Amino acid sequence: MATSNAAAHRARVRPRRPGGRIAARLYAWGTLTPVLVFVALFTLFPFFYALVTSLHRYVLTIPGKPYVGLGNYRTALSDAMVHSSARTSLIFIAAAVPLVTVLGLGVAVLLNQRVKGFGILLVLVLLPWSVPTVSAGIMWRLLLHGDFGAIDGFLYRFHAIDSYVQWLSGSKLALMSVILVHAWREFPLPVILFLAGLQTIPPELTEAARLDRASAWQRFRWVTLPLLKAPLLIVLVYETIVAISVFDVVYVLTGGGPGSATTLYSWYTYTVTFKFLDLGMGAAMSFLMAAVLFVFILLYMRIVRLREAEA
Amino acid sequence: MQNTWVGRQPARALLVLWLVAGVAAVAAVGATARTTSASTVDLKFQVWSYSIPTIQSNIKRFQTLYPGVKVNLSDTSWFDYHDVMATKFTGGSAPDIAYSSDHWLREWVAANWIAPLDKYFPQFKQYQKEWAPYAREGMTLDGHLYGLPYYADLIDFLYNADQVKQAGFNGAPKTWDDVRKISLALKQKNIVQYPLNIPLKKDDPWLIEIFYAMVYGNGGHMFDKNDNPVFNKPGSAAEKMLQWLQNARTKWKILDPAGPESAEPDVVKTMGGGHSTFTVLAKYNLAELNLGQHKEAGHFKLALMPGTTHSTVGFVRFYAMTANASKRGSDVTKSVGKFLQYFGGKTGGKYAVEKRWALEKGLGFANLPLYNDPQIKKAINKWGSVPLEQSQAKLAHVKEGLTPFWGVWDISAREQLDKAILGQESPRAALKNMADRWNQLKKQYKR
Repeated sequence: MATSNAAAHRARVRPRRPGGRIAARLYAWGTLTPVLVFVALFTLFPFFYALVTSLHRYVLTIPGKPYVGLGNYRTALSDAMVHSSARTSLIFIAAAVPLVTVLGLGVAVLLNQRVKGFGILLVLVLLPWSVPTVSAGIMWRLLLHGDFGAIDGFLYRFHAIDSYVQWLSGSKLALMSVILVHAWREFPLPVILFLAGLQTIPPELTEAARLDRASAWQRFRWVTLPLLKAPLLIVLVYETIVAISVFDVVYVLTGGGPGSATTLYSWYTYTVTFKFLDLGMGAAMSFLMAAVLFVFILLYMRIVRLREAEA
Repeated sequence: MQNTWVGRQPARALLVLWLVAGVAAVAAVGATARTTSASTVDLKFQVWSYSIPTIQSNIKRFQTLYPGVKVNLSDTSWFDYHDVMATKFTGGSAPDIAYSSDHWLREWVAANWIAPLDKYFPQFKQYQKEWAPYAREGMTLDGHLYGLPYYADLIDFLYNADQVKQAGFNGAPKTWDDVRKISLALKQKNIVQYPLNIPLKKDDPWLIEIFYAMVYGNGGHMFDKNDNPVFNKPGSAAEKMLQWLQNARTKWKILDPAGPESAEPDVVKTMGGGHSTFTVLAKYNLAELNLGQHKEAGHFKLALMPGTTHSTVGFVRFYAMTANASKRGSDVTKSVGKFLQYFGGKTGGKYAVEKRWALEKGLGFANLPLYNDPQIKKAINKWGSVPLEQSQAKLAHVKEGLTPFWGVWDISAREQLDKAILGQESPRAALKNMADRWNQLKKQYKR
C-alpha cells in the first residue's frame, strides 16, 4: 500500500510536458544560486583569502607582499607573546567553562522547581544574554573600576573592605574579573539547554528515587545528571569553543591589560592583525586557532548527531 | 495544478525577479551617477570622537561659507583611531580629510596614505612661520608640509594647589622627589590616599607621550639623532623615571593603583573629585578640571614638568589631505583646500576654528600669535596661566624616534611600561624589551 502511494505521489509530481523538468531544474538552480553566491562570498572567499594572506608577509604599512611560505606560522609558533597568550587562554578556558556550566546547571535546576514567578525569573536569567556585549562590558567596567566602581563603593559602605579593590588593575584579579563577566554573559544559554533537558525527565523517576529514600543530592547525582549527559556535553564543547575565541569582553573591559594579564590568544591575534597591522602573521595565528576550534566543532557535531540518533 | 506551478510559474516568477533586480541595479547606478555629476562636491571627513557637536557646528559654518561643498563627518574612538584608519586606507574606504597626529606622520607618508599639502596648496607654507617649533616639526617631513593644525598642546604637570597647601607645602613641586615628599605628607595627613594619578590604561595612547615628557623633564632622551634607542642604557633617565614610577606604585603607594584601568577621562574624573592631587596630562585638561562640574574645580594649577630641565613633550594633531582625495580630481582637491584653509588656517585674516577650540575647550594652538589675542589671554587665565604656559612651551620638544613604525612600536611599549609600573617586570627588563621590539621593527621595515 505504501509503495503504491509513493508511486502515485511520484506520478503526481512528475512534469507532464518535456520542458517541465528543465524548468524545475532552472528553478532549483535559480533559487539556490543567490544563496551559493552569498556563501561563497562571505565564507569561502574570506577563508581562502586569509589562507593566502597567511603565506605572505603582509604588513599594511610596508609596501609589497612577498611570499614567505610557512614563515608566518613558524614565527607565530616561536613567539614568546603567542606562548604567553596561549597560556592565559588555557587558564581562562579551564576556569570559564566549568563556571559557566555549573552556573547554568544550578540555575536551570532551581528554575525547574516550578517556583512562583517562573516567567519573570526566566526573563531575568536571560537578561545578560540580551544585553549587547559592548554595553555589558562598559557597564561592568564602570561597576568594577578601582577608583569609582559601584561594587567597591557598596562593599566599602558596608565595611566589607578597608580600601577599594583593584578588580581590573591587579594582574590576577583582572583575569578573574574577565572570567566572571564572561560567565555572567554566557550562562543563560546553558540554562535554556539544561532546562529543556530537565523538562524531558519523567517525574516518576525522581519520585521513585524519593520513595527509595534517596537524598536530594543522590537524586540529582544518580537520576538527573545521567539523563542530562547529552546537553551537558553540548554545553561543555560549545562553551569551550566560545572561550577559545572570546574577544569582545577583553576588548571592552581591559584591552588585554594590565600589562599582558588578560591578553588571551584571540585578543593577541587581534592585536597583531589590527594594531601591529601584520595581516600575514595575524592570518597565520587565526588558522592555528581555527585548527583547535575545528577539533571541537567536529566533536560538537558528533554529539549533536548522536543525540539525534538517540532521539 | 501542482505540475503547472512547478513547471511554468516559477520560471516566469524567476524571470520577473531577475528583471526587477536588474532594473533596480540600473536605477541605483543611475542615481549614483546623478549624485556624482551634481555641482556639489562631497567630502568625507574622518575624526576621532571628541566634541562632535563643535565639529558639526564648524562644518555647518564652513558649508554656509562654501555652499558648493558638502562635508560628511565620521568619527571613531581615539583609542582605536590608528587601527581603524589603517584598515580604511588599505581597504579602499579612505576619507578625503582626516585627523592625524605627529605620532603617525611618517607611517602615513611612507604608506602613501596622505598627500603633501605644499604640492597642491603652496600658499599654506606661509603659515609655518607662525607655528610653535614642535608643531611645525610634527607636520613636516623631508621639507614637505602634510597638515594644518587642529590643535597643538603640551604634556603638562597639573596639581591641586589647595590640597598641596593643606599638606603644608607652598607652591608646586620642582622635582619628582618633591612629588614623593608631598604625596607622602598628603597620605599621612589623610588628605588623599593616592596623590599621583596617571592614565596607564594600555590602550590609551597618552601613556607613551606622558612617559616621554617625564623623561624629557629629567634631561633624558628616548632616541638618538639616528633613531637608535637610548632609553635602554643602564642608568638612563628613562630607567630612573620608570623605577620611580614602580616605586610610587609598589613601595610608597602614592600612585593610584587603578591607573592601569584608567584612561584620560577617568583620571580627570578622579582628580576633579579630589581623590588625587598630581597628574601628567595634556594641558587642555586643566580647563576641564577648573571649569567643569567637579568638586575641586578652581583648585588646579599648572606647573613646569618636574625634573632637572623641566622640558616636556609638545605635540600637534592636524588635518591631513589623503592620497585618496588627491586622486579624485581638481574639484575635490580645491574643495579640500578650502576646507583646510577654513579649519586649520585663516579666514578673513583670523584663525577662526583654532581660536574657537581654544576659547571653548581650552585646546592649545600651534599658531603662536594667538597668545596676543586678548580674548584668548582672558580665556586661558580663567583656568590657567598664559606666562607659565608660554614658559613650558619654550621647553617643549617633539617626540623622538618618529619613524614609520613608531605607531606599531608604541603599542608594545605601552604594555612594557605597564608591566614595569605594576612590578611584573624590572624597569631595565621592560626597557630592554622595548628596545628589542624597536630593533626588530627597524629590521622588518628595512627589508
